[in-house]
Amino acid sequence: MAPNSKKEVEPMPDVQELNRDLANRLIEEVKKDRQSAYNGKFVGLANGQIIVVTENLAELAQRLRQAEPDPARTFIVEPGRDLDEVFEVWETC
Amino acid sequence: MARVPWSFLNDRPIIQIEFTLAQGGKASRTLLADTGAGTAKGPFELILEEHDCLLFGGSFAQTVKLSGAYAGSFPRYLLLAEIPVIQFSGDVFAIGVTAPPKGLDGIAGIRFLNRFTYGNFGNPTEFGLET
Repeated sequence: MAPNSKKEVEPMPDVQELNRDLANRLIEEVKKDRQSAYNGKFVGLANGQIIVVTENLAELAQRLRQAEPDPARTFIVEPGRDLDEVFEVWETC
Repeated sequence: MARVPWSFLNDRPIIQIEFTLAQGGKASRTLLADTGAGTAKGPFELILEEHDCLLFGGSFAQTVKLSGAYAGSFPRYLLLAEIPVIQFSGDVFAIGVTAPPKGLDGIAGIRFLNRFTYGNFGNPTEFGLET
């Protein structure tokens, strides 16, 4: 860094990073509190904010599209679901 | 009640699903009808080429771990799937992969097929869905 230069500004985290950070916080919340309002629900995020909490996939999709037309700025998390499970796809060839 | 049959492709059962392109318009994809893909309550219904998931404006969802024909951690997307001839329209989770089965655009797993009554309906060279 050149002498007397201002401290470099931290780069803004990208939207998906914000979404994933929030998703991870929701997952942790449900792990600590199974009574959490997010347990058993789909949570739709956009631009680092919660847009919709629902059990209904169609409602999730509709509300997300309404709130943020660019799908690259959205993220869906199921905080109470164990996605460490491995799902099998039988060999097809 | 509506039913749509598809002739086997290379002796394998297939279905065709329509998707809405993010840039407008529709595109049809031919998928292997595979009851051995996933589970009835698993976190995905379809397996598609990841490029298609993005082309169809899929929203990102948590990744899923697979084993067998596809092994590892894969991205997951929420997409609108349609089969107009039987008036089906629904939001589904699809896994994005780099290489779908040879000669096909992907796989429709048991969770998707279970939305319908499915089978050959007495014709051993066809596979169909019925609502």
